[in-house]
This record gives sequence, C-alpha cells and structure tokens, in this order.
Amino acid sequence: MNHVFQYRLASSFQDAVAGLAELGADARILAGGTDLLVNIRAGLMAPTHVIDIKAVPGIDTLTYTPETGLSIGAAVTVNALMENDAVQAHYPLLVQCAHQLASHQVRNRATVVGNIVNASPCADLAPPLLCLDAAIEIQSADGARQVSCREFFVAAKQTVLRPGELVSRILVPAETADGQGGYKKLKRIQGHDLGIVGVALWRQRDRVRVAVSSAAPTPVYVGEFAADEPLASVQEALSAAINPIDDVRCTRDYRLFMAGVYLRRLWQEVV
Amino acid sequence: MMQVQLTVNGQVYERETTEYKTLLHFLREDLGLTGTKEGCAAGECGACTLILNGKAVNACLVLAVEANGAVIETVEGQADGNTLSDLQAAFARHHATQCGFCTPGLLMSIQDLLRRNPKPSVDEIKAGIEGNFCRCTGYVQVIEAVLDVTGQLPQKGALKHV
Amino acid sequence: MYDQVDPATLKYVGTDPARLESTVKLTGQATYVGDMVMPGMLHARIKKSPHARARIVRIDTSRAAALPGVRAVVTGEELDYRLGLYVVDKYILAKGEVRHYGEAVAAVAADTLVIAERAVELIEVEYEVLPPVLHPLDAIKEDAPLVHPELGSYDYFKPAFTPRPGTNIVNHNKIRKGDMEKAMAEADYVVERFYTNPSVQHVPIETHVSIAQWCAGDEVRIWSAAQSPHTVKNLFAVAFKIPHRNVRVMVPYIGGGFGGKAGIGLEPLVAVLSRKAGGRPVRVQATREEEFSLLPCRSGLQQRIKTGVMADGRIVAQQMTQYWDAGAYADYAVNVQRAASYSGSGPYEIPNCWVDSYALYTNKPYSTAYRGFGHVEFHWGIERHMELVASAIDMDPLEFRRKNLLRPGSLTITGEEITAHTGNVIQCVESVAESIQYGQLTPDEAAREKATGRKIGKAVAALQKAPAMPPFTAASVVLKMNQDGTVTLNVSLTDMGQGTYTSLAQLAAERLRFPLEKIHVAFETDTDRDPYDWQTVASKGLMLSGNATILAAEDLLKNAYAVASQILRATDHDMDHDEDKIFIRHHPSRFIRFQDIAVGYAYPDGNGIGGPLIGVGKYIAQGLGHIDKETGQGLPALDWTYGAHGMVVEADPETGEYTILKIASAFDVGKAINTGLVRGQAIGGMVQGLGTAFCEGYIFDEQGRLLNPSFTDNKIPTAMDLPLEVEAMVVETAQIDGPYGARGVGEHSMISVCSALGNALQQAIGVELTHMPMRFEDVWRALNNKEPIDNWITKSPVGSCRSAPELRKHDGVKG
Repeated sequence: MNHVFQYRLASSFQDAVAGLAELGADARILAGGTDLLVNIRAGLMAPTHVIDIKAVPGIDTLTYTPETGLSIGAAVTVNALMENDAVQAHYPLLVQCAHQLASHQVRNRATVVGNIVNASPCADLAPPLLCLDAAIEIQSADGARQVSCREFFVAAKQTVLRPGELVSRILVPAETADGQGGYKKLKRIQGHDLGIVGVALWRQRDRVRVAVSSAAPTPVYVGEFAADEPLASVQEALSAAINPIDDVRCTRDYRLFMAGVYLRRLWQEVV
Repeated sequence: MMQVQLTVNGQVYERETTEYKTLLHFLREDLGLTGTKEGCAAGECGACTLILNGKAVNACLVLAVEANGAVIETVEGQADGNTLSDLQAAFARHHATQCGFCTPGLLMSIQDLLRRNPKPSVDEIKAGIEGNFCRCTGYVQVIEAVLDVTGQLPQKGALKHV
Repeated sequence: MYDQVDPATLKYVGTDPARLESTVKLTGQATYVGDMVMPGMLHARIKKSPHARARIVRIDTSRAAALPGVRAVVTGEELDYRLGLYVVDKYILAKGEVRHYGEAVAAVAADTLVIAERAVELIEVEYEVLPPVLHPLDAIKEDAPLVHPELGSYDYFKPAFTPRPGTNIVNHNKIRKGDMEKAMAEADYVVERFYTNPSVQHVPIETHVSIAQWCAGDEVRIWSAAQSPHTVKNLFAVAFKIPHRNVRVMVPYIGGGFGGKAGIGLEPLVAVLSRKAGGRPVRVQATREEEFSLLPCRSGLQQRIKTGVMADGRIVAQQMTQYWDAGAYADYAVNVQRAASYSGSGPYEIPNCWVDSYALYTNKPYSTAYRGFGHVEFHWGIERHMELVASAIDMDPLEFRRKNLLRPGSLTITGEEITAHTGNVIQCVESVAESIQYGQLTPDEAAREKATGRKIGKAVAALQKAPAMPPFTAASVVLKMNQDGTVTLNVSLTDMGQGTYTSLAQLAAERLRFPLEKIHVAFETDTDRDPYDWQTVASKGLMLSGNATILAAEDLLKNAYAVASQILRATDHDMDHDEDKIFIRHHPSRFIRFQDIAVGYAYPDGNGIGGPLIGVGKYIAQGLGHIDKETGQGLPALDWTYGAHGMVVEADPETGEYTILKIASAFDVGKAINTGLVRGQAIGGMVQGLGTAFCEGYIFDEQGRLLNPSFTDNKIPTAMDLPLEVEAMVVETAQIDGPYGARGVGEHSMISVCSALGNALQQAIGVELTHMPMRFEDVWRALNNKEPIDNWITKSPVGSCRSAPELRKHDGVKG
C-alpha cells in the first residue's frame, strides 16, 4: 500500500467496537479487504488504523436450520456461501447472484457482509438478500441491534450504520427458504464486471419478490407480488421503484429498458 | 512494524514488516520471490494470484500481516527442481505463455482449479481463469494446455493450412 | 522465398517447437524490470496534471524536497530537453503549459515508494485552466485553440511529414490516383458514410517500467521494458546531446508491448532524477491508472468514405478523409496516420482514389503505435463500408468483395503492382467464408435460433497491412559459436512475447543444419552487446531479422569452412557438414569437428589458426522509397500481409445483446515458420481485437478529464469472452524476399475483427453500426433508430460508482 496505517487484530466484537469507539472515523473494519484495500490505494479512504475482525471466534460461521434459517457471519466469504450445501438447497438465488460477483480469487476473500456494508448500488448480493428479507445484525458498544435489509441502505454508499457500529451477521429467515429464482445482470463483457443493471426474482409458491441493482442510488427492493398478478402492474412497480442515471457505463434509457426486459424474462422463466 | 511468520512453498520465513504492506509486495520485496506479479494492484487482473491456505487469492488484496501463520504456494513452487510440473510442461507444449507476465498467476489459478475439479470442462476452465487477464494469448492455448494435462484433448490445437 | 528451397527438405521451418524461454517464464524466473533491484536504487513517483489544458502558474516543491528520504525533485522548468520520434514536440515534464489530463508536471525520487508518493502530494501546482480542444473535428476548425502554438519551430522528419504551423494539423498526407472526381460523377451509385472510433489503451499486463542510472562522465545506463532499445538509445542521446556510446539500454523480459512500449517512454524522466540524486539508480513503474493517461494510447479516428460503384458491383472511385486524434503529442501518431493514408482503401482495387489524412493535436493523452498501426481503426470504416455499399446496391457482400479485392495485376492506391507473390487476399476471404458456412444456416444453427429467439448472422471482413517504417529500415544479427559447437544468437530486436526469437532460432538451425537445441538466442537485450536493429514494431521483425539470421548463418559457415579448408586441405566444394563436423564429401572419415574450430584451431604442435567463429548478417529493406507528398504515389511497403475474418454472431433483436459463436481467421503468412506461434498470434490478436470491438475506449468529460482510467471501467476480454469456436488458418504464398518465404503476422490478427462483428450484427438483426465499440446499448440504439450515444466526450459524466469524478482520486491526479 502507498498509504500508511496501523493494523489491529480484534479478538472479539467487543474488542472491535471498542477500537471503533476509540479511533472514530480514523478506523476501518477489515474483513475480506477486497473493497477496503482498493479504496485505500485509490485515496478514497485514508484510515490511520484497520481493525481486522477475521479472528473473532465464530465469525466465519455459516449455519442453517429449518427453524431459524441462515446465519452468515461477517467473515463468511462469497465462495463459502456459494459452496454451502444448505445455501444451494434452500436459497439457490444467493448462489446464482454470487456467481456474478467478481472473480473466483476475489470471492475467496470478499465477504457477504462486506458486499452489503459498502452499499454499492451494484452490489450483487443485495438483490437476493432484499428478496429473502434478510436482517442485518449490528454490533456496537451498546450491544446488538437488528435492521431489516430493506431499511439498511439509505443513500449511495450509505447505510444506517452509525459511528462505532459494525455488522456482525446477516440472518436470512427460514420463511423465505425454498423457492425458485433467477438473476439477470447486464455487463460490458461476459467476464467479471460490475453490473450495469441487475434484476433478481424469488418465487415461493404464489408469492414473488423482486429486487434490482445498479438502477438507483442504492439497491432497490421492488416488492412482493402475487404470482397471478398481471406483469404490467409489476412492471409499473419496478418503474416507480428505480431511478437510474446516465454514466460512463450506460444511459438511464437503456437501464430502464433492460430492467423491464429482465423482469419480464425472469417472470416468464420462473413464474 | 509487526513480526510475521509464514510458510512459502514449504520454506518457513520470519520477518518484520510494515503493517500496510501487501502480501504481494512482501513476497517480492522482502522475500525476493518475484515470480508473482503486480498488474493492477486492485484485484482486477489476477497477475498476483497465489494460493493462500489452500485458496487462490489476489495477493495485492491481502496484507502481509493478515497472512501471519499462513501456508502459501506461489509459482516458484510448481516445478520440482529442473522438472517442470505437468501443467507447466503442457503450457510449454501448447504455447500457453507469450509475454509471460500473467503466466504465474494463471498457473496458480489453474493449480487451484484442478484441486477442486480434476477434470474441468471447457466452461469450468473459463470460469476458473476468468479472474486472470491475459492480453497476449487469447486464452485458447491456455485452455488447451489444461485440457491436455487433464487427459481431455484428443489432438493438439493446430494451425490449418488452406 | 529468399532463395529456392525444396520444402520437403525443411527440418525446422514449418514445425511447432515450444518457445525457447518457456521454462524461465513458467517457473517465475524470467526477470522483468519491475523485479530488478539495483544497489542504492530509489523509487520515483510523478505529479500529474488534473487538467486537460492549463498554464502552469507556479510549482512549489519546497515541502516535498524537505520530506526526509526524498533524494531528488524535478520540474519541467529546470529541464530543456525535447523528445519526439518524428516531430520533436514533447518535453520530459510539462513546461509552461499542460496539454493533457494526466501529463507529468513534476517527479520525485525517494528512498521508498511511500515517501515518494507522500512527496508528490506535497508538491503544489497552481494552474490557470484554459479551454481544451478535445474533439478532432473541433481541432481542425480555423478558430480552434492551438495545442502547439510553436509547431512551426519544431524539428521534424521532413521526407515523410508535413506539419501545418498555425493549426492543430501536425501532419497531412494525400493520395491522388486516377481521376477520382470524373469517375465518381460517372458512377451508377455513390455511397457515403462516416465512421468513428475512440482512443483505446494497449493494456499490457506489465505496466511501463524503467530504471536509469546517470553516472559520472554522462554515462547513462537504462534498464527498461522497451520494445526498441536502439531507438531509446538514439532518441535519448539526441535529446540530451550526449554521445551515443555513452548510453547503454538493457531490456530484460517485457510483459507485453503491443506498440505502447515501441518508442521512448519514462526513461528520460528517471534519468534526470538519477542525475539529480547524484547518480543513484532510480526506478519508476507506472500504476495501472497512469498507464491510461500518463502513457500513450491508440488514436481515435473519424473518417468519411465516399464510394462510386457501378451497378455490376465494380468500385470505380473512392474518396476518403481521415481525421486522426493524435492527442497532445505527435509521437507515432503521425506515422500511424501516414501508414493509414497509403493503405487506406484496404485490400481493394480502387482505380480512382483520393485520400486526405490528417493527424490532429488535441488536449487528450497522446497516442502512439498500437498493434495494427492504424489499420484496426480505418479498416473498421472500410470493411463496414464495403458491407454497406453491397447492401445499398443489393449485392451479396462476399460477392461484392470478390469483385473488388486485389489480385495479380491490380494497382494499389500508391500505384504498386500486385504480383502472384504479393499474397492472396481472395484465398483468405474464401477460406473464412467456407469455414463459417457463409450464406446459410446449418440445421443446428436454425434450431438454435428457434430455441433462443435470437438471430444468427454471418459475415466476413478482409484486411491488409504492410510494415510502416522508414524505407531504409535495417536489422542485424550476430551468431557466435561457443566452444562446444553450440551457437549464441545476438539480436536487438526484442521478444516481448510474440515469439520471434524462437522463429529466428529455427531459421538459424535450418540454415546451419544444426539441431535446434544447439541454438541459443540471448534474451535480455543490451545495446552495448547486440548489433543494431531499428525497432521491434510493424510486424517486420521476422522478415528483416530473419533474413539477417540466414545471412549470419551463411557467414558463420563460410568462416568455418575457411578454417576447415586449411586443416583438411580441401576447397569449399569438396567439403560438406553435418551438425557436428565439416568433412570431405568423398572421404567422410576425414573431418574436423566444429567444437575444435569454434574459438580457433590448434595444430598438434600448438600452432593456432582461425580464431573465434562469428557470423554476421545484416539486412536492409530493398527497393522502397518515400512516397510523393502531392500524389502519395510510390513504393512504401516491404510486404503486404493479407487476411480475413469470418464471424458468426447470435444477437438478441430486442435488447441488442449478442454472443459470438465462431470466428475463423486466415492470413497469407507466406510461410508459417512456427505453426504454434503463428496460431498464438492469430488467436491472441483476434481476442485483443474483440476488446476493441466490444467495449474498450477512453471516455472523457467535457473538461477533458479521463473518466475510465482503470480496469473498473475499461474492461478487457477474459476467458469468458471467447467465441464458442475459433479457427486459425494460413495461406502460404511465398514472399520472394522473405525468409523461407515468410512475412510478418504479429499485428494482422487484430485488424478487421471489429468490422467482421459489425458486419455479422448487420446480417443478424439489420443494424447499420458506424461507430465502435459495439456495446449492447449501441446495438440496441441502432435497432431502435435512436441517436447513437457518443459518450467518448460525455456531457453527463455522472458516475454511479467509482468512476464518479469526486470519487476518482485514485489516479493520483489531484486538483
């Protein structure tokens, strides 16, 4: 790195949040590092300290029970998620979306939680977690709290996280397990690329949920629909929910168009 | 500064390092293991791919201090003395290296792939090396080398004379 | 084929040995400049301009210089050296004015990179921002701001170039063949279109890197990832006005070049830092972001093509106007533009032809050679145009090409007569058409269309290219016999991955009749050790250095035979040799082994004769000349390599998304010396061409700031982007003056890939694309007759992610 900082290895969440409390905005949490180290090198962040949470006991634990659903610890990597039998069996949408996230090497370091806390509008794991109604578990010196994934993102690259807080787990409820889904992501090349627009859809029996990436300042949950709902009204909800921009990757026009096409095609394939 | 100890290609190294140094720079500058290359320093190109505790990673996105206690495999560990590994030999036969700069990272990605999947299909090979940019070869002869080393290439890719 | 050889006798030429340096590259032991550490070496970082055009009001380096560990700080103000290959227009560091975003304005050498980086942040630069000229069509306007007001005072290579002082036109070339206006007026149809493409980056995986040490007595040592060590030496010595003998350039392994490392780059900057740091060696390695804006790119092109054609499909007239976006400095761009003017029609016979080709200065990163040297860019227009002309006159595009392609007896647009030995472009086109089963859908393809709802299109595109080089370009090779009878080949052509060294070894082995294992080519080129070669560019290496290798082999044998004739008391025609010895033909038991004469022969009494066996070969391009400045007529081409691509694409008629099912490529290489390496060039260049076709390209905001200088927003093809099927073919029409008939093919595979894709998309879903790259959105817009997005200079540089300007500090360019 071209930027000088100090490294702390946290032994527990208490240890980590104490570090955050002590150092304030000068500290950054390090888990996979695939965004943090890139941002530090790019000069977008200049922490004096990084606090590595990977040694916190149990933090890389990924568990599933039919009663409680899925618990994804903050150090669980994207590949670990994809390779997990229970995830493949009960939440295939997570695997489909994770496949679209960066390259194999990056997925070996990048964490599921990291993909969410950066609150990038193009985070590939946000749409499935929105569809699956995941909860975000947040630790601070005051203890733990939970926020729905659907309330977690507030603006571009901003979340509800307050100073001194970190995300310790993602909890995916048992109720949203077992269904069929799909994710369509527009990219510039077929290889690893950030999404230009992405649509995820998850169907359980007669209920269908839709979420979108790269089509608004944050990932967007479009809503839950009945499977026999006319597609036109789902399309209408989609249009109301998203607000894409023109940028170097794409125009607003094409993002709007492709979000609609992908929704229609997913609906036809899955519903 | 922090003390780190790690095992690279079976050799144990113990060094002091600055806390902000990447594993890639640590290997190259502190241990003199320059086979692993830097192409973008941002986790995009895969030139710095090595195997860290059994998993392929971009060494530019790992701090040396994070690798304390780790077991690392790099391109320097692939050959056995003067004998190239089967994969390296297949690379030579199939012209799978041109300028050679991305080659160490590609070899490590493929080594990792073949451990996970000893007989990968063409699509699985492509996905396995998706994170390794190569600007010279166009990947085809790399894929052929992997097919050959896994016994799946009935005949060598040939230039057709017309 | 240089001389007549029975192909059946060839032992190494036309085979497929592994490249010589396989082992060293595969084990990680190949040393690149970035791997080298010199004793006492310092590390450099560069302060760059955040503006496209600005006056430098003040630079304060005092805080940087005061930082502990900083050993040298330099600014443009203290340097007065100008560099330039063809037009001497570029300071080492900007002086007075910055001319492009990312231009170097100051530099620091320090004990560590971290200190150097910090010092660069401490340098304060005050700018007066000036309105930039960004678009080449704006740059050519009469009232355009001048990028180089002092153009009239610059030195330039006068036989080939014509700058226009007082304008942004740094060069203008003309072709005038036949009576274009009359033929155009008499044509049955006239088809006119405008084609565009943006600047793109080479993207070698190894970024530019140089080490220099300026020693006492003005002796300068340079280690650099440079394609052309003797050109670095020459330009360096000229700029600094020191004797050539004082400059030593060493090039170890190079991590890809593609033209981006063809000329001189960061070497002078690190050299002045070293001089200021008391002679300590200094290294600089460009960051990936610097690779995009500090270092040069490929020129953008805007071109108008107007074609007069008869109802039977014969082209009778063509007028072409090319506006090349050179960026802020001429570098190779003027020669790219010049080569594109005399090759500008592509491989077609155009009886009446005008070309006006302009290289224009703009306030953008400067441009240079890039694989294909202008031919990727202008063939985009030419080969799309042929498709569009054919559809305009309702003729099959393949049939239309057949009618107009060059053939023996044709005259090129510079008046060169095509012969039976020039190469066979028609065969290339027919071969790829056959390979893709042009003009029909197979049952499988028809079924696929039905299953996917997508449409399959098939098309071809042809190409030509000759080396763009001075007509007197020369190369040389030295072969030295070692004491065991093995041979070391010294050449200063570099091998940056294209594999020429392996081909040279095959040529040497063939001509010496030695086993290939006996030939060693010395990598890690050194201008103090290796004889002159102009540059490693233009796909001319195999032909010029190959011929020099053959001549060196003959010279070595001649010298060996001279010694043997004394020892064996025989004349040359009484002797023959095998891999081990020279012997008497009619008494094979009387012989002398090569190893016994390799460094001189000693008689039993100790008398010595002969001395070390060395073979010298030199070759200079034969018969070429400067083309006439008014008419463009003349003989500029050493050899023409022709080729073609056939493309099968499957496109979504609703969204514009597409997948390439197959690409078949064919090139008339004369003779494939190493078939595996030729295939590697064919496929590697094709995939690089796909990057240009898919999505690569520089995007600027209206202030001229580059918005996508990284892999985040400048993607290159990955293995996932390969066509489902790839076929590489060669035609072998021997080149009479080529080694064993061979001609170069390093660049050609990249040319016309984009055009083939554009043509296939047109066949699939009817889109008439005239700009590349062809992003899915571009195809969608064309499908819906929406205005094309021209976001190469964007009016809405709003970034959703890391490309947003306010988040884009990562290229080290801070305001």
